[in-house]
Amino acid sequence: MRRELTISDQRIDEQALGKGRAMSAGMGAAVYFVGVVRATEEGRPIAALEYEAFQPMAEHQFHLLFDQAETRWPLESVRLVHRLGRVAAGETALWMEVVAPHREEAFAACQFIVSEMKRVVPIWKKAFPLA
Amino acid sequence: MPVSVLVLFCSDQAVSGCYKSAVQVRVHFYSYFKDLAGLAEVTESVAPGSRLEDFLQKLFLRFPKLAAMKKSALVAVGIDYQAGDYVLAEGDEVSLFPPVQGG
Repeated sequence: MRRELTISDQRIDEQALGKGRAMSAGMGAAVYFVGVVRATEEGRPIAALEYEAFQPMAEHQFHLLFDQAETRWPLESVRLVHRLGRVAAGETALWMEVVAPHREEAFAACQFIVSEMKRVVPIWKKAFPLA
Repeated sequence: MPVSVLVLFCSDQAVSGCYKSAVQVRVHFYSYFKDLAGLAEVTESVAPGSRLEDFLQKLFLRFPKLAAMKKSALVAVGIDYQAGDYVLAEGDEVSLFPPVQGG
């Protein structure tokens, strides 16, 4: 399985990521997920979220999740980008894509990775209220 | 006849009379645990053979604001999560942090 992982404070370029999609002839499904910073946090308006990571462990834990996904579904590729630092409301904080032969496994793997990420990957966020 | 045995742990191997050097463990705090601890990292000495759960009890005594979070705290050694029965070794780096919130 091909994998690309980026954890960075650079803005996520969704167009470039979309153009970078590669699918071999046997692949019939590409599922991607975009996590966007909401304008409210716990009911209060916010300007931004600031993401912090324990980066070496975050990368390692992401790869462990990719390993698990690879054993459960016949995936051709996983690409994931997680933003760090200050991310304004409305901006993308997480982008991920799974390519598989069929939609069932692509949806399932995408859901699995995002859900497990929220359980084991050491990334935290802090809300900045509107001034 | 009863025999008393005194075992000394010390951090300097050059000191005579030491049974074995204490283990130096670096501790890192992340997210709001840094604020609760008042620092981002600290080095602690523990006796050889100490388990992670015993070490954490010691740490919570030193940082009482963190003790309130011990049920939800996540603990890693290096870049892997470890259970309380993990035996600490020289050079281990322990990380303590709240539940993760990525995405």
